[in-house]
Amino acid sequence: MGWYMGIDIGSTYSKGVLLRDSEPVASSIRLSGIDHRTTADAIRKELLARVESPPQPIEVVATGTGAGNVPFANSQASDIVCTARGINRLFPQARTAMDIGAQSTRVIKLDGRGMVTDFVVSEKCAAGSGRFIEVIANVLRIGLEEFGPLSLQSRNPVAFSTGCAVFGESEAITRVAEGVPKEDIAAGVNLALAAKIASLAKRIGLELPCAICGGGALNQGLTAAVEKELGIKLLVPPEPRTVTALGAAIQAYSGAAA
Amino acid sequence: MTKGSPPNLPYFAGIDIGSTMTKAVVIDAAGNIISAVKGPTGAEHRHLANEVMAKALEAAGLRLEEVGWIVATGYGRFNVPFADEHITELSCHARGVYQLFPNARTVVDIGGQDAKCLKVREGKLVDFAMNDKCAAGTGRFLELTAQSLGIGLEDLAALSLRASKPVEVSNMCTIFAQQEVVLRLSQGERIEDIIAGLHRALAERVAALVRRLGIEPEVVLTGGVAKNAGMVQAMKEALGCSLLVPEEPLLTGALGAALLAMERTQRLLAQGKPLKTKARHLEKATFYTGS
Repeated sequence: MGWYMGIDIGSTYSKGVLLRDSEPVASSIRLSGIDHRTTADAIRKELLARVESPPQPIEVVATGTGAGNVPFANSQASDIVCTARGINRLFPQARTAMDIGAQSTRVIKLDGRGMVTDFVVSEKCAAGSGRFIEVIANVLRIGLEEFGPLSLQSRNPVAFSTGCAVFGESEAITRVAEGVPKEDIAAGVNLALAAKIASLAKRIGLELPCAICGGGALNQGLTAAVEKELGIKLLVPPEPRTVTALGAAIQAYSGAAA
Repeated sequence: MTKGSPPNLPYFAGIDIGSTMTKAVVIDAAGNIISAVKGPTGAEHRHLANEVMAKALEAAGLRLEEVGWIVATGYGRFNVPFADEHITELSCHARGVYQLFPNARTVVDIGGQDAKCLKVREGKLVDFAMNDKCAAGTGRFLELTAQSLGIGLEDLAALSLRASKPVEVSNMCTIFAQQEVVLRLSQGERIEDIIAGLHRALAERVAALVRRLGIEPEVVLTGGVAKNAGMVQAMKEALGCSLLVPEEPLLTGALGAALLAMERTQRLLAQGKPLKTKARHLEKATFYTGS
Protein backbone atom coordinates (compact mmCIF):
# COMPACT_ATOMS: atom_id res chain seq x y z
CA MET A 1 0.00 0.00 0.00
CA GLY A 2 1.32 3.45 -0.92
CA TRP A 3 0.42 7.06 -0.21
CA TYR A 4 0.55 9.81 -2.82
CA MET A 5 -0.02 13.54 -2.59
CA GLY A 6 -0.72 16.22 -5.19
CA ILE A 7 -0.20 19.88 -4.31
CA ASP A 8 -1.46 22.57 -6.71
CA ILE A 9 -0.28 26.09 -5.81
CA GLY A 10 -2.50 28.45 -7.79
CA SER A 11 -2.38 32.23 -8.05
CA THR A 12 -5.23 32.63 -5.55
CA TYR A 13 -5.97 29.23 -3.98
CA SER A 14 -3.75 26.26 -3.24
CA LYS A 15 -5.17 22.78 -3.28
CA GLY A 16 -4.04 19.37 -2.08
CA VAL A 17 -5.28 15.81 -2.58
CA LEU A 18 -4.07 12.68 -0.76
CA LEU A 19 -4.40 9.23 -2.35
CA ARG A 20 -4.13 5.82 -0.72
CA ASP A 21 -2.95 3.78 -3.64
CA SER A 22 -5.11 5.28 -6.37
CA GLU A 23 -8.05 6.28 -4.18
CA PRO A 24 -8.56 9.87 -2.92
CA VAL A 25 -8.88 9.92 0.89
CA ALA A 26 -8.51 13.63 1.72
CA SER A 27 -8.46 17.05 0.09
CA SER A 28 -7.68 20.58 1.22
CA ILE A 29 -8.11 24.11 -0.15
CA ARG A 30 -6.43 27.23 1.24
CA LEU A 31 -5.68 30.76 0.07
CA SER A 32 -2.22 30.80 -1.49
CA GLY A 33 -1.22 34.01 0.26
CA ILE A 34 2.19 35.51 -0.33
CA ASP A 35 4.15 32.73 1.35
CA HIS A 36 3.56 29.65 -0.79
CA ARG A 37 5.92 27.47 1.25
CA THR A 38 3.97 27.98 4.44
CA THR A 39 0.71 27.37 2.59
CA ALA A 40 2.03 24.17 1.00
CA ASP A 41 3.18 22.91 4.36
CA ALA A 42 -0.18 23.72 5.97
CA ILE A 43 -1.95 21.76 3.23
CA ARG A 44 0.37 18.78 3.72
CA LYS A 45 -0.27 18.76 7.47
CA GLU A 46 -4.02 19.12 7.00
CA LEU A 47 -4.15 16.20 4.56
CA LEU A 48 -2.09 13.96 6.85
CA ALA A 49 -4.20 14.91 9.87
CA ARG A 50 -7.23 13.50 8.05
CA VAL A 51 -5.90 9.96 8.05
CA GLU A 52 -5.04 7.69 10.95
CA SER A 53 -1.37 6.92 11.54
CA PRO A 54 0.21 9.39 9.09
CA PRO A 55 2.00 7.43 6.40
CA GLN A 56 5.74 7.63 5.70
CA PRO A 57 7.28 7.81 3.22
CA ILE A 58 4.99 9.60 0.85
CA GLU A 59 5.39 10.52 -2.82
CA VAL A 60 4.51 14.16 -3.54
CA VAL A 61 4.03 15.91 -6.90
CA ALA A 62 3.68 19.70 -7.00
CA THR A 63 2.01 21.68 -9.79
CA GLY A 64 0.55 25.12 -10.48
CA THR A 65 2.18 28.55 -10.74
CA GLY A 66 3.89 28.08 -7.36
CA ALA A 67 5.04 24.48 -7.94
CA GLY A 68 8.61 25.53 -7.23
CA ASN A 69 7.66 26.58 -3.70
CA VAL A 70 6.86 23.11 -2.42
CA PRO A 71 10.17 21.99 -0.89
CA PHE A 72 8.86 18.60 0.24
CA ALA A 73 7.73 17.60 -3.27
CA ASN A 74 9.60 14.78 -4.95
CA SER A 75 8.92 16.25 -8.37
CA GLN A 76 6.97 18.87 -10.30
CA ALA A 77 4.49 18.33 -13.08
CA SER A 78 2.87 20.67 -15.60
CA ASP A 79 -0.57 21.87 -14.58
CA ILE A 80 -1.85 21.05 -18.07
CA VAL A 81 -0.87 17.41 -17.62
CA CYS A 82 -2.31 17.30 -14.09
CA THR A 83 -5.64 18.84 -15.09
CA ALA A 84 -5.97 16.29 -17.89
CA ARG A 85 -5.16 13.46 -15.48
CA GLY A 86 -7.65 14.70 -12.91
CA ILE A 87 -10.45 15.15 -15.44
CA ASN A 88 -9.74 11.73 -16.92
CA ARG A 89 -10.11 10.15 -13.47
CA LEU A 90 -13.47 11.85 -12.87
CA PHE A 91 -14.80 11.69 -16.43
CA PRO A 92 -12.95 9.04 -18.47
CA GLN A 93 -15.16 9.86 -21.48
CA ALA A 94 -14.14 13.57 -21.55
CA ARG A 95 -12.14 14.65 -24.59
CA THR A 96 -11.88 18.35 -23.71
CA ALA A 97 -11.18 19.92 -20.30
CA MET A 98 -11.67 23.61 -19.55
CA ASP A 99 -9.97 25.06 -16.51
CA ILE A 100 -11.17 28.51 -15.43
CA GLY A 101 -8.61 29.83 -12.97
CA ALA A 102 -8.20 33.13 -11.19
CA GLN A 103 -5.56 34.32 -13.66
CA SER A 104 -5.81 32.08 -16.68
CA THR A 105 -8.15 29.98 -18.74
CA ARG A 106 -6.91 26.73 -20.24
CA VAL A 107 -8.60 24.46 -22.74
CA ILE A 108 -7.01 21.02 -22.97
CA LYS A 109 -7.74 18.15 -25.35
CA LEU A 110 -7.10 14.70 -23.97
CA ASP A 111 -7.41 11.08 -25.00
CA GLY A 112 -9.08 8.15 -23.22
CA ARG A 113 -6.00 7.56 -21.08
CA GLY A 114 -5.88 11.16 -19.88
CA MET A 115 -2.92 12.06 -22.09
CA VAL A 116 -2.81 15.63 -23.39
CA THR A 117 -3.17 15.84 -27.18
CA ASP A 118 -3.36 19.64 -27.47
CA PHE A 119 -3.98 22.71 -25.32
CA VAL A 120 -4.40 26.47 -25.45
CA VAL A 121 -3.88 28.96 -22.62
CA SER A 122 -5.25 32.47 -22.17
CA GLU A 123 -3.29 34.26 -19.47
CA LYS A 124 -2.54 37.65 -21.00
CA CYS A 125 -5.83 39.33 -20.25
CA ALA A 126 -7.79 39.55 -17.01
CA ALA A 127 -11.05 39.65 -18.97
CA GLY A 128 -10.36 36.08 -20.12
CA SER A 129 -10.03 34.66 -16.62
CA GLY A 130 -11.87 34.38 -13.33
CA ARG A 131 -10.25 37.67 -12.40
CA PHE A 132 -12.90 39.53 -14.41
CA ILE A 133 -15.58 37.99 -12.16
CA GLU A 134 -13.63 39.06 -9.05
CA VAL A 135 -13.28 42.64 -10.32
CA ILE A 136 -17.01 42.97 -11.04
CA ALA A 137 -18.08 41.15 -7.85
CA ASN A 138 -16.10 43.82 -6.03
CA VAL A 139 -17.99 46.59 -7.86
CA LEU A 140 -21.30 44.89 -7.03
CA ARG A 141 -20.15 44.31 -3.45
CA ILE A 142 -21.10 40.66 -3.53
CA GLY A 143 -19.17 37.53 -2.62
CA LEU A 144 -17.88 35.26 -5.40
CA GLU A 145 -20.22 32.49 -4.20
CA GLU A 146 -23.21 34.79 -4.78
CA PHE A 147 -22.17 35.66 -8.32
CA GLY A 148 -23.52 32.57 -10.11
CA PRO A 149 -26.92 32.32 -8.39
CA LEU A 150 -27.46 36.08 -8.76
CA SER A 151 -26.61 36.07 -12.46
CA LEU A 152 -29.09 33.26 -13.11
CA GLN A 153 -31.92 35.57 -11.99
CA SER A 154 -31.17 38.03 -14.79
CA ARG A 155 -33.72 38.62 -17.53
CA ASN A 156 -31.82 41.33 -19.35
CA PRO A 157 -28.03 40.85 -19.23
CA VAL A 158 -25.90 43.95 -19.77
CA ALA A 159 -23.78 43.92 -22.94
CA PHE A 160 -20.21 44.97 -22.21
CA SER A 161 -18.78 47.10 -25.00
CA THR A 162 -15.11 46.12 -24.68
CA GLY A 163 -13.27 42.94 -23.82
CA CYS A 164 -11.20 44.64 -21.13
CA ALA A 165 -11.62 44.07 -17.39
CA VAL A 166 -10.48 47.63 -16.57
CA PHE A 167 -12.97 49.25 -18.95
CA GLY A 168 -15.54 46.62 -17.92
CA GLU A 169 -15.15 47.75 -14.31
CA SER A 170 -15.84 51.37 -15.32
CA GLU A 171 -18.85 50.24 -17.33
CA ALA A 172 -20.19 48.24 -14.39
CA ILE A 173 -19.82 51.29 -12.13
CA THR A 174 -21.73 53.39 -14.68
CA ARG A 175 -24.51 50.78 -14.95
CA VAL A 176 -24.81 50.57 -11.16
CA ALA A 177 -25.16 54.36 -11.07
CA GLU A 178 -27.86 54.14 -13.73
CA GLY A 179 -29.79 51.74 -11.54
CA VAL A 180 -29.30 48.61 -13.64
CA PRO A 181 -30.03 45.55 -11.44
CA LYS A 182 -26.97 43.73 -10.10
CA GLU A 183 -28.07 40.43 -11.60
CA ASP A 184 -28.08 41.93 -15.11
CA ILE A 185 -24.51 43.18 -14.65
CA ALA A 186 -23.36 39.83 -13.22
CA ALA A 187 -25.03 37.96 -16.07
CA GLY A 188 -23.40 40.31 -18.59
CA VAL A 189 -19.95 39.54 -17.16
CA ASN A 190 -20.63 35.80 -17.33
CA LEU A 191 -21.66 36.16 -20.97
CA ALA A 192 -18.54 38.19 -21.81
CA LEU A 193 -16.24 35.66 -20.14
CA ALA A 194 -18.14 32.72 -21.65
CA ALA A 195 -17.64 34.22 -25.12
CA LYS A 196 -13.89 34.35 -24.54
CA ILE A 197 -13.79 30.77 -23.23
CA ALA A 198 -15.87 29.57 -26.16
CA SER A 199 -13.61 31.25 -28.71
CA LEU A 200 -10.59 29.64 -27.05
CA ALA A 201 -12.33 26.24 -27.25
CA LYS A 202 -13.24 26.77 -30.90
CA ARG A 203 -9.69 27.77 -31.69
CA ILE A 204 -8.39 24.42 -30.51
CA GLY A 205 -11.32 22.43 -31.95
CA LEU A 206 -13.77 21.41 -29.27
CA GLU A 207 -14.28 17.65 -28.93
CA LEU A 208 -17.08 16.22 -26.83
CA PRO A 209 -17.77 15.39 -24.10
CA CYS A 210 -16.31 18.51 -22.49
CA ALA A 211 -15.64 18.92 -18.77
CA ILE A 212 -15.05 22.16 -16.87
CA CYS A 213 -13.03 22.69 -13.69
CA GLY A 214 -11.21 25.37 -11.70
CA GLY A 215 -12.80 27.93 -9.40
CA GLY A 216 -14.76 29.41 -12.31
CA ALA A 217 -16.73 26.17 -12.63
CA LEU A 218 -18.36 26.94 -9.26
CA ASN A 219 -20.12 29.85 -10.96
CA GLN A 220 -23.27 28.19 -12.35
CA GLY A 221 -24.09 31.32 -14.32
CA LEU A 222 -20.76 31.02 -16.12
CA THR A 223 -21.09 27.30 -16.87
CA ALA A 224 -24.63 27.88 -18.15
CA ALA A 225 -23.38 30.73 -20.35
CA VAL A 226 -20.56 28.55 -21.77
CA GLU A 227 -23.06 25.77 -22.46
CA LYS A 228 -25.36 28.17 -24.25
CA GLU A 229 -22.54 29.83 -26.20
CA LEU A 230 -21.23 26.47 -27.45
CA GLY A 231 -24.58 24.67 -27.58
CA ILE A 232 -23.24 21.80 -25.47
CA LYS A 233 -23.68 20.23 -22.04
CA LEU A 234 -20.68 20.41 -19.71
CA LEU A 235 -19.48 17.81 -17.24
CA VAL A 236 -18.96 19.55 -13.89
CA PRO A 237 -17.19 17.77 -11.01
CA PRO A 238 -18.68 18.09 -7.51
CA GLU A 239 -15.50 19.92 -6.38
CA PRO A 240 -14.03 21.56 -9.48
CA ARG A 241 -11.18 23.29 -7.65
CA THR A 242 -9.18 20.21 -6.63
CA VAL A 243 -9.14 18.51 -10.06
CA THR A 244 -5.58 19.56 -10.90
CA ALA A 245 -4.29 18.58 -7.43
CA LEU A 246 -6.00 15.20 -7.90
CA GLY A 247 -4.19 14.88 -11.22
CA ALA A 248 -0.88 15.70 -9.52
CA ALA A 249 -1.53 12.99 -6.94
CA ILE A 250 -2.31 10.53 -9.74
CA GLN A 251 0.97 11.55 -11.39
CA ALA A 252 2.73 10.71 -8.11
CA TYR A 253 0.96 7.35 -8.03
CA SER A 254 1.69 6.43 -11.63
CA GLY A 255 5.28 7.71 -11.35
CA ALA A 256 5.84 5.44 -8.36
CA ALA A 257 4.11 2.53 -10.09
CA ALA A 258 6.24 2.90 -13.21
CA MET B 1 -16.15 94.81 -32.87
CA THR B 2 -19.88 95.03 -33.12
CA LYS B 3 -22.06 92.36 -31.78
CA GLY B 4 -25.34 90.94 -32.91
CA SER B 5 -24.58 90.34 -36.57
CA PRO B 6 -22.67 87.09 -37.09
CA PRO B 7 -20.38 88.26 -39.95
CA ASN B 8 -18.70 90.66 -37.57
CA LEU B 9 -18.03 88.13 -34.87
CA PRO B 10 -14.30 87.62 -34.80
CA TYR B 11 -14.08 84.91 -32.12
CA PHE B 12 -14.40 81.14 -32.29
CA ALA B 13 -14.29 78.36 -29.74
CA GLY B 14 -13.56 74.67 -29.57
CA ILE B 15 -14.45 72.35 -26.70
CA ASP B 16 -13.00 68.86 -26.41
CA ILE B 17 -14.73 66.48 -23.99
CA GLY B 18 -12.29 63.68 -23.37
CA SER B 19 -12.78 60.71 -21.08
CA THR B 20 -10.68 62.31 -18.37
CA MET B 21 -10.35 66.03 -19.13
CA THR B 22 -12.53 68.65 -20.76
CA LYS B 23 -10.63 71.33 -22.69
CA ALA B 24 -11.83 74.61 -24.20
CA VAL B 25 -9.97 77.05 -26.46
CA VAL B 26 -11.11 80.47 -27.70
CA ILE B 27 -9.36 82.05 -30.71
CA ASP B 28 -9.63 85.27 -32.66
CA ALA B 29 -10.21 85.61 -36.39
CA ALA B 30 -6.47 85.26 -37.05
CA GLY B 31 -6.32 81.94 -35.19
CA ASN B 32 -4.50 83.35 -32.16
CA ILE B 33 -5.32 81.67 -28.88
CA ILE B 34 -7.17 84.13 -26.61
CA SER B 35 -7.83 81.70 -23.80
CA ALA B 36 -7.48 78.00 -23.00
CA VAL B 37 -8.97 76.17 -20.03
CA LYS B 38 -8.88 72.58 -18.79
CA GLY B 39 -11.02 70.82 -16.22
CA PRO B 40 -11.65 67.23 -15.22
CA THR B 41 -14.43 65.37 -17.07
CA GLY B 42 -14.80 62.46 -14.61
CA ALA B 43 -18.11 60.67 -14.09
CA GLU B 44 -19.29 63.23 -11.57
CA HIS B 45 -17.87 66.16 -13.53
CA ARG B 46 -19.63 65.40 -16.76
CA HIS B 47 -22.12 68.13 -16.23
CA LEU B 48 -19.36 70.67 -15.93
CA ALA B 49 -18.68 71.06 -19.66
CA ASN B 50 -20.49 74.38 -19.52
CA GLU B 51 -18.34 75.54 -16.61
CA VAL B 52 -15.14 74.91 -18.55
CA MET B 53 -16.59 76.90 -21.43
CA ALA B 54 -17.70 79.67 -19.10
CA LYS B 55 -14.19 79.87 -17.63
CA ALA B 56 -12.64 80.02 -21.10
CA LEU B 57 -14.99 82.88 -22.02
CA GLU B 58 -14.26 84.68 -18.79
CA ALA B 59 -10.51 84.35 -19.34
CA ALA B 60 -11.00 85.75 -22.85
CA GLY B 61 -13.18 88.60 -21.54
CA LEU B 62 -15.98 87.56 -23.87
CA ARG B 63 -19.65 86.78 -23.64
CA LEU B 64 -21.10 83.73 -25.31
CA GLU B 65 -22.89 85.85 -27.96
CA GLU B 66 -19.55 87.24 -29.08
CA VAL B 67 -18.36 83.83 -30.23
CA GLY B 68 -19.25 83.23 -33.86
CA TRP B 69 -19.16 79.46 -33.96
CA ILE B 70 -18.50 76.72 -31.41
CA VAL B 71 -17.29 73.27 -32.38
CA ALA B 72 -17.46 70.39 -29.92
CA THR B 73 -15.21 67.37 -30.24
CA GLY B 74 -14.02 64.38 -28.20
CA TYR B 75 -15.98 61.35 -27.07
CA GLY B 76 -18.48 63.49 -25.19
CA ARG B 77 -19.00 65.98 -28.05
CA PHE B 78 -22.69 65.18 -28.48
CA ASN B 79 -23.28 66.24 -24.92
CA VAL B 80 -22.49 69.91 -25.40
CA PRO B 81 -25.82 71.65 -25.89
CA PHE B 82 -24.27 75.03 -26.65
CA ALA B 83 -22.15 73.74 -29.57
CA ASP B 84 -23.04 74.75 -33.12
CA GLU B 85 -21.39 71.73 -34.64
CA HIS B 86 -19.79 68.38 -33.72
CA ILE B 87 -16.58 67.26 -35.42
CA THR B 88 -14.65 64.05 -34.69
CA GLU B 89 -11.57 64.36 -32.51
CA LEU B 90 -9.47 62.89 -35.29
CA SER B 91 -10.15 65.85 -37.61
CA CYS B 92 -9.75 68.32 -34.77
CA HIS B 93 -6.46 66.83 -33.59
CA ALA B 94 -5.11 66.85 -37.12
CA ARG B 95 -6.02 70.51 -37.52
CA GLY B 96 -4.74 71.54 -34.10
CA VAL B 97 -1.39 69.83 -34.60
CA TYR B 98 -1.00 71.42 -38.05
CA GLN B 99 -1.30 74.86 -36.47
CA LEU B 100 1.56 74.12 -34.08
CA PHE B 101 3.71 71.86 -36.27
CA PRO B 102 2.98 72.40 -39.97
CA ASN B 103 5.38 69.65 -41.03
CA ALA B 104 3.83 66.95 -38.84
CA ARG B 105 3.10 63.68 -40.64
CA THR B 106 2.47 61.36 -37.70
CA VAL B 107 0.52 62.24 -34.56
CA VAL B 108 0.48 59.95 -31.55
CA ASP B 109 -2.20 60.86 -29.01
CA ILE B 110 -2.29 58.98 -25.71
CA GLY B 111 -5.36 59.85 -23.71
CA GLY B 112 -6.82 58.71 -20.43
CA GLN B 113 -8.86 55.97 -22.03
CA ASP B 114 -7.58 55.46 -25.55
CA ALA B 115 -4.57 55.87 -27.81
CA LYS B 116 -4.60 56.97 -31.41
CA CYS B 117 -2.12 57.28 -34.21
CA LEU B 118 -2.97 59.73 -36.98
CA LYS B 119 -1.24 60.08 -40.32
CA VAL B 120 -1.71 63.69 -41.40
CA ARG B 121 -0.79 65.94 -44.28
CA GLU B 122 -1.24 69.68 -44.04
CA GLY B 123 -3.76 69.35 -41.29
CA LYS B 124 -5.85 66.74 -43.06
CA LEU B 125 -6.33 63.23 -41.78
CA VAL B 126 -4.91 60.61 -44.16
CA ASP B 127 -5.15 57.45 -42.06
CA PHE B 128 -5.49 56.43 -38.44
CA ALA B 129 -5.41 53.53 -36.01
CA MET B 130 -6.72 53.51 -32.48
CA ASN B 131 -7.07 51.40 -29.37
CA ASP B 132 -10.03 52.00 -27.12
CA LYS B 133 -10.78 48.35 -26.36
CA CYS B 134 -8.04 47.53 -23.89
CA ALA B 135 -6.72 49.66 -21.04
CA ALA B 136 -3.16 48.50 -21.70
CA GLY B 137 -1.76 51.03 -24.16
CA THR B 138 -3.74 53.96 -22.76
CA GLY B 139 -3.16 56.46 -19.96
CA ARG B 140 -5.32 54.25 -17.79
CA PHE B 141 -2.48 51.71 -17.61
CA LEU B 142 -0.18 54.24 -15.93
CA GLU B 143 -2.94 55.67 -13.79
CA LEU B 144 -3.85 52.32 -12.24
CA THR B 145 -0.37 50.89 -11.89
CA ALA B 146 0.86 54.14 -10.30
CA GLN B 147 -2.11 53.92 -7.95
CA SER B 148 -1.06 50.39 -6.95
CA LEU B 149 2.35 51.79 -6.11
CA GLY B 150 0.83 54.69 -4.18
CA ILE B 151 2.34 57.24 -6.58
CA GLY B 152 0.50 60.26 -8.02
CA LEU B 153 0.53 60.75 -11.81
CA GLU B 154 2.38 64.03 -11.38
CA ASP B 155 5.32 62.28 -9.71
CA LEU B 156 5.82 59.61 -12.37
CA ALA B 157 8.09 61.64 -14.66
CA ALA B 158 10.60 62.73 -12.02
CA LEU B 159 10.78 59.23 -10.54
CA SER B 160 11.19 57.45 -13.86
CA LEU B 161 13.96 59.77 -14.98
CA ARG B 162 15.95 58.70 -11.90
CA ALA B 163 15.77 55.04 -12.88
CA SER B 164 19.05 53.20 -13.36
CA LYS B 165 17.78 49.79 -14.45
CA PRO B 166 14.16 49.71 -15.67
CA VAL B 167 12.30 46.63 -14.51
CA GLU B 168 10.80 44.47 -17.20
CA VAL B 169 7.02 44.45 -16.79
CA SER B 170 5.97 41.16 -18.35
CA ASN B 171 2.21 41.54 -18.03
CA MET B 172 0.48 43.49 -20.75
CA CYS B 173 -2.90 43.41 -19.00
CA THR B 174 -3.31 46.40 -16.68
CA ILE B 175 -4.84 44.31 -13.92
CA PHE B 176 -2.10 41.71 -14.01
CA ALA B 177 0.54 44.46 -14.25
CA GLN B 178 -0.91 46.04 -11.09
CA GLN B 179 -0.21 42.79 -9.22
CA GLU B 180 3.17 42.43 -10.85
CA VAL B 181 4.44 45.86 -9.77
CA VAL B 182 3.37 45.31 -6.18
CA LEU B 183 5.20 41.97 -6.23
CA ARG B 184 8.30 43.65 -7.72
CA LEU B 185 8.22 46.23 -4.96
CA SER B 186 8.02 43.49 -2.33
CA GLN B 187 10.98 41.80 -4.01
CA GLY B 188 13.01 44.92 -3.32
CA GLU B 189 13.07 46.52 -6.78
CA ARG B 190 13.46 50.30 -6.67
CA ILE B 191 10.27 52.21 -7.33
CA GLU B 192 12.07 54.41 -9.89
CA ASP B 193 13.04 51.32 -11.88
CA ILE B 194 9.53 49.89 -11.71
CA ILE B 195 8.00 53.14 -12.95
CA ALA B 196 10.50 53.38 -15.79
CA GLY B 197 9.55 49.79 -16.65
CA LEU B 198 5.86 50.75 -16.74
CA HIS B 199 6.64 53.67 -19.05
CA ARG B 200 8.52 51.31 -21.36
CA ALA B 201 5.67 48.80 -21.34
CA LEU B 202 3.10 51.45 -22.27
CA ALA B 203 5.41 52.98 -24.88
CA GLU B 204 5.99 49.59 -26.52
CA ARG B 205 2.28 48.94 -26.69
CA VAL B 206 1.54 52.31 -28.30
CA ALA B 207 4.56 52.00 -30.61
CA ALA B 208 3.11 48.76 -31.98
CA LEU B 209 -0.02 50.71 -32.95
CA VAL B 210 2.09 53.44 -34.59
CA ARG B 211 4.21 50.95 -36.52
CA ARG B 212 1.06 49.49 -38.05
CA LEU B 213 0.61 52.79 -39.87
CA GLY B 214 4.30 53.54 -40.37
CA ILE B 215 6.42 56.19 -38.68
CA GLU B 216 6.86 59.26 -40.87
CA PRO B 217 8.60 62.38 -39.54
CA GLU B 218 7.83 64.76 -38.11
CA VAL B 219 6.23 62.87 -35.27
CA VAL B 220 4.15 64.75 -32.69
CA LEU B 221 3.10 63.38 -29.31
CA THR B 222 -0.10 64.76 -27.74
CA GLY B 223 -2.61 63.86 -25.06
CA GLY B 224 -2.29 63.96 -21.30
CA VAL B 225 0.40 61.29 -21.25
CA ALA B 226 2.68 63.63 -23.24
CA LYS B 227 2.90 65.84 -20.14
CA ASN B 228 4.95 63.08 -18.55
CA ALA B 229 8.60 63.64 -19.54
CA GLY B 230 9.40 60.03 -18.65
CA MET B 231 6.81 58.82 -21.15
CA VAL B 232 8.09 61.20 -23.84
CA GLN B 233 11.55 59.70 -23.36
CA ALA B 234 10.17 56.14 -23.41
CA MET B 235 8.18 56.87 -26.59
CA LYS B 236 11.29 58.28 -28.29
CA GLU B 237 13.14 55.09 -27.47
CA ALA B 238 10.27 52.81 -28.49
CA LEU B 239 9.74 54.60 -31.82
CA GLY B 240 13.44 55.22 -32.43
CA CYS B 241 12.89 58.81 -33.54
CA SER B 242 12.67 62.29 -32.13
CA LEU B 243 9.33 63.66 -31.02
CA LEU B 244 7.73 67.09 -31.01
CA VAL B 245 5.56 67.82 -28.01
CA PRO B 246 3.25 70.85 -27.84
CA GLU B 247 3.64 73.12 -24.85
CA GLU B 248 0.08 72.18 -23.91
CA PRO B 249 -0.35 68.65 -25.27
CA LEU B 250 -3.91 68.36 -23.96
CA LEU B 251 -5.21 71.27 -25.98
CA THR B 252 -4.60 70.29 -29.64
CA GLY B 253 -8.08 68.82 -30.05
CA ALA B 254 -9.86 71.88 -28.67
CA LEU B 255 -7.54 74.20 -30.64
CA GLY B 256 -8.27 72.26 -33.83
CA ALA B 257 -12.01 72.47 -33.10
CA ALA B 258 -11.76 76.26 -32.71
CA LEU B 259 -9.74 76.57 -35.94
CA LEU B 260 -12.24 74.43 -37.86
CA ALA B 261 -15.01 76.66 -36.48
CA MET B 262 -13.13 79.70 -37.77
CA GLU B 263 -12.45 78.24 -41.21
CA ARG B 264 -15.98 77.04 -41.65
CA THR B 265 -17.32 80.46 -40.82
CA GLN B 266 -14.89 82.20 -43.14
CA ARG B 267 -15.73 79.78 -45.95
CA LEU B 268 -19.45 80.39 -45.57
CA LEU B 269 -18.96 84.14 -45.46
CA ALA B 270 -16.73 84.05 -48.55
CA GLN B 271 -19.53 82.21 -50.37
CA GLY B 272 -21.94 84.88 -49.21
CA LYS B 273 -23.96 82.30 -47.28
CA PRO B 274 -25.54 83.22 -43.99
CA LEU B 275 -24.26 81.65 -40.80
CA LYS B 276 -26.90 79.74 -38.98
CA THR B 277 -26.52 80.54 -35.33
CA LYS B 278 -28.96 79.24 -32.83
CA ALA B 279 -29.85 80.86 -29.56
CA ARG B 280 -27.23 79.58 -27.14
CA HIS B 281 -26.83 79.64 -23.45
CA LEU B 282 -24.56 77.73 -21.13
CA GLU B 283 -26.98 75.23 -19.75
CA LYS B 284 -25.98 72.05 -17.98
CA ALA B 285 -24.76 69.45 -20.40
CA THR B 286 -27.15 66.58 -20.99
CA PHE B 287 -25.53 63.23 -21.41
CA TYR B 288 -26.72 60.27 -23.32
CA THR B 289 -28.06 57.59 -21.09
CA GLY B 290 -29.58 55.45 -23.82
CA SER B 291 -27.80 52.95 -26.08
